[in-house]
Amino acid sequence: MSEADLILGIVVATALAFDFTNGFHDTANVVATSISTRAMPPRIAVGYAAVLNFAGAFISLEVAATVANDVVDAVAITTTVIFAGLVGAIAWNLITWYFGLPSSSSHALIGGVVGATFVAAGADAIFGEGILGKVLIPAVLAPILAFVVGALAIVICYRTIGRQRPGPVSRGFRYGQILSGGLLALAHGTNDAQKTMGVITLALIANGSIASDAEVPTWVVVSAASAIALGTYSGGWRIIRTMGTRIIKMDPAQGFSAQGAGAAVILASSHFGYPLSTTQVIAGGVMGAGAGKRLSAVRWGVAGNIVSAWLLTLPAAALIGAGVYLFTDLFPGAVGPLLVSVAGVAAAAAAFARRIRRGVPVPA
Amino acid sequence: MLATIVDTEALWQTVVGAAVAGLGTTLVFSLAILGLARLAEANRQGRTVEASLFAALAALGLLATAGAVVFALIVMTSK
Repeated sequence: MSEADLILGIVVATALAFDFTNGFHDTANVVATSISTRAMPPRIAVGYAAVLNFAGAFISLEVAATVANDVVDAVAITTTVIFAGLVGAIAWNLITWYFGLPSSSSHALIGGVVGATFVAAGADAIFGEGILGKVLIPAVLAPILAFVVGALAIVICYRTIGRQRPGPVSRGFRYGQILSGGLLALAHGTNDAQKTMGVITLALIANGSIASDAEVPTWVVVSAASAIALGTYSGGWRIIRTMGTRIIKMDPAQGFSAQGAGAAVILASSHFGYPLSTTQVIAGGVMGAGAGKRLSAVRWGVAGNIVSAWLLTLPAAALIGAGVYLFTDLFPGAVGPLLVSVAGVAAAAAAFARRIRRGVPVPA
Repeated sequence: MLATIVDTEALWQTVVGAAVAGLGTTLVFSLAILGLARLAEANRQGRTVEASLFAALAALGLLATAGAVVFALIVMTSK
């Protein structure tokens, strides 16, 4: 095995680990609404979300194409640059998880890759127009759109139903949530798994393993789909243990509206290749469904967290990605990535152990 | 300047597509729930004509919901 192949292997493993943690982290967002309205028992909801996460990864490749072709120049960078970007994203996710700061895995991934590319290949290798048009503007627009659609949807629900007996109506919307929750899980798998596919494809192009205009290889699609589905399934058990303490109470019509809004925005965006923060979109839908019923029900602190995440995540992950690249560049060949990998695993294990001793926070 | 950098048409289609899909599906599914709720009520009171109309509304609402989901998946997978 050549050194280039070894680095490529490390990049693929790191990207899949990132994908797994993405699923693990986001399970709560995908299943919380269905569980809190009792549309589905927790175990069923988590298993159902994992299966549809897996299926969702196969329905589109537009987001993967954006990450692989529209963010940085794949031909001008190396696999070490992508490795540094991934480490930047993972490190920022761990830092924000440890300190309880708002973050977005998707923005961290883009930020990390851009930061590492900037120091390695210069500003010319960064596609500013692609980042602005396909990442930044959709990132701001999507949660607002989900909020508006969620708010209007709950108004439509209440106006259409009128003053019917609550029992059959709630039961009906609970059944509806099996559909809307499934679509949300499918949408989550579509958008989030594709970011990993895009990064692995970028690494394969940078390594010269595939042509710059090649399609995403099937093994990349299958492995990314499996990693996010496994992450979702694993993350769910922690949620089940802590159910009933931190999840917002909603009625089934609100749950249906919130999930429908989130799924519609993520699926429409994925169709046009926009890599979104699915967490922020789902939060937008939930807040909209709350605001449509009663404005005071909105947790404006969550909106503040989203804005903070917008402002912080991209530059912070970019700085870490740049720093990691400069460090790995000090060593020849695969030594730098290997050293960073070992140090990264040790730091993550230490952070987990310390955080668990202090009490594990549950994703809101 | 911004319009030359950003594909405004794709962004606009995303906004319209998400709004139409999210709100349209909610409306037709709500109509189905309304139909089912009123159907049960009409059956209890023995109003058979009204019950048939609400049964038709519920069936149409459910069919439209299923159709909207299938259409969305076809659009997603066809590109």
